[in-house]
Amino acid sequence: MKRILQIAVRDFTAVVVTKGFIIGLLAMPVIMTVLLILGPSIFNDDDFQIEGEYAVVDPTGQVFPEMDAALDGGTIAQRRSEEFQRVLEDAPEMVRALAASAIELERAMEEELGPTPNVRLNQLPPDTDVEAEKAWLNEETDGLRHTALIVIHDDAVEPAGAESEFGAYDLFVPPGLDDRDLDFIHANVREAIISARIARQSLERDTIESILRVPRPSSTTVSADAERRTVTEFSFILPMAFMMLMFVGIMTGGQYMLTSTIEEKSSRVVEVLLSAVSPMQLMAGKLLGSVGVSLVAMGLYLLMGLALLTSLSMFGLLNPWLIFYLLVFFLIGFFVVGSLMLAVGASVNEISEAQSLQMPLMLIVMLPLFLWPAISRNPNSLLATVVSFLPPINSFGMLLRMASTQPPPWWQIWLSIGVGVASVAGALWIASKVFRIGLLMHGKPPNLKTLIRWVRAA
Amino acid sequence: METAISLTGVTKTFGRMVAVDNLDLAVPRGGLYGFIGPNGAGKTTSIRMIMSILFPDSGEISILGHPSAMDAKDRIGYLPEERGMYKKMKVQAFLGYVARLKGIDGTGLGQLISESLERVGLPGIERKRCDELSKGMSQKVQFIAATIHKPDLLILDEPFSGLDPVSLRMLRDLILEENARGATILFSTHVMPQAEEICEHVMMVYKGRKVLDEDLAAIRSHYDPRAIQFDPFDPHADTAALASLPQVERIQDKDGSCEILLKEGTDPSEAMRAILEAVPAARIEISRPRLEDVFIQLVADGTSADDEQRLRTEFRSAGGDGATV
Repeated sequence: MKRILQIAVRDFTAVVVTKGFIIGLLAMPVIMTVLLILGPSIFNDDDFQIEGEYAVVDPTGQVFPEMDAALDGGTIAQRRSEEFQRVLEDAPEMVRALAASAIELERAMEEELGPTPNVRLNQLPPDTDVEAEKAWLNEETDGLRHTALIVIHDDAVEPAGAESEFGAYDLFVPPGLDDRDLDFIHANVREAIISARIARQSLERDTIESILRVPRPSSTTVSADAERRTVTEFSFILPMAFMMLMFVGIMTGGQYMLTSTIEEKSSRVVEVLLSAVSPMQLMAGKLLGSVGVSLVAMGLYLLMGLALLTSLSMFGLLNPWLIFYLLVFFLIGFFVVGSLMLAVGASVNEISEAQSLQMPLMLIVMLPLFLWPAISRNPNSLLATVVSFLPPINSFGMLLRMASTQPPPWWQIWLSIGVGVASVAGALWIASKVFRIGLLMHGKPPNLKTLIRWVRAA
Repeated sequence: METAISLTGVTKTFGRMVAVDNLDLAVPRGGLYGFIGPNGAGKTTSIRMIMSILFPDSGEISILGHPSAMDAKDRIGYLPEERGMYKKMKVQAFLGYVARLKGIDGTGLGQLISESLERVGLPGIERKRCDELSKGMSQKVQFIAATIHKPDLLILDEPFSGLDPVSLRMLRDLILEENARGATILFSTHVMPQAEEICEHVMMVYKGRKVLDEDLAAIRSHYDPRAIQFDPFDPHADTAALASLPQVERIQDKDGSCEILLKEGTDPSEAMRAILEAVPAARIEISRPRLEDVFIQLVADGTSADDEQRLRTEFRSAGGDGATV
């Protein structure tokens, strides 16, 4: 045991105290933080300016005035303010506090909704030849671009008969028009037509809107000892976050183990080691050292996640038992995947040769990443149940289910752990056979058939 | 006599290839044994089985009284043929790691490493990275790694390959020092003159089978000395005339002297008398049989002339630089 620990300590320190590992470990959270802070400035498309000249053919004579009023600078400003207030009401407390001052509010509104649209309306006579007018859309212009020809239907405001439906409008646009321009045009024409229809019925739009408005309150989650605002995104993201933690943990240690084994083999140091320890001791030491590397990586990210939850006053949303099960399933996943990666490392002479053998294993391990949405939304479906009992991905599958809103019954959890422990034993058995033979084999790397022969022969 | 290594009927195959075939070996404690044979003869496979790195298909192995080297790894030092170190590791860390794996406690380990490095003529390189060392320096560091725990049994697989003459002599002296300390030494080589210089006993293997297992002195007395080295007193003497003597099979000129090969069954002393009567000599002596001659003689039946020449070339080359001990 002492020698196994000595190998583990060497493999652990050979990785953890290197600059590459520390930089690599911190790179991900740093990049994420930078993206969170700078992301809105870098990626936001709110500086997109909606502008253009719209030609409107309105045979009803009632829609154009509504559009004209709606697209007036003052009206737009008021509507943006109202829209922003609604956004603000749904925003977290911290954001609302930030937007408290008038100046901040103005700036926040600019950031959220983008620059004020610059639109000019051009009313055409009702008997305009629409076909001929389409050419206007592609005319060269020094000023605002001709972006829309809007033709309101005769019956857009009043149906042709008592049993008839309301008409609508036709829209013609030049090539290459941005979808945000289109959305803006549709929204404003729709609003104008609705206003015209309401006016035609001698009704008050404000009254109707008031009648239709039922604000959606934020729900409150009531637990045995506390009440808190319901956060639906949390239950959606949590399974993914746990699975990613496990994935990152397993891959970090597994990859280092693979490369260090190849290095020991190619530099021929392995035979020196085998003069002091048995292949099984060497393998056990390497697995222990790498599990330590993985725990450092996973532990750091877990602590960061918990610190983030605490800072957002959301720590209470997390079931602490999930962390325990994360550790259990991580260890199962690591020893299954890690020991197979170790076997791959022992079989080949250089890292490029490892890729073909590693690829099928990687694809299998990545399967839960693709199945995450399906399992997370329906954690007790047949697919989810099968995945949570299917080695080597059962650890990922069961953890996804446990972190979902409908965790599986306890007996399924422990059955999956049992399956996991059995698969660890199987993977270690296979890996030990391949490891022992592969370490001293040089030359052409083995194919799957040869590996199977090694497992049978050793 | 108590044996350090004992192999009885050991066989190892890789697929259809028989690497070691029914091998019996016995190395007594304190012995200095050479394990010789051409490349591919089965030396490394045998050594790996002795070290329990590989396991035999059949046969029994006993190492320092244990059925497996696993049970006595702390008492065995091993310098494999394919030597390696962690490139990025410092010499001190590498030797410390290997020493700890061999059961040496951390206390005083730094001092032991420094003394060992000094002993091999590499003082002060503790802080150097392994990939900064020359080949000769690496070889010495690896020798320290194999002997730092003062093993009872030292197994060296082709220890002289690739060394320059100076390093080669130093390593030979270190091996002899270890043997003088009481360590049993088994070293393999395909360069026969090296074995002749160091060993007291040689075991020859060819195609996985043992073809010779005797003390060097016994080999020299057993194997018929059929060659005589002869320098004529008069450099212009007609040495070709010696070929007509009934005892002589043929004569080969070698840089002013000649090697006289005697007919099979000839008494060398009678032949020497006849030669001296025919041509006065400045020097005449019976050639000691060389190991390579013995080896070729032993495997002659299954060996063509081309194979014989190839084997002789291989036996005289040490890792390509031609150096011998």
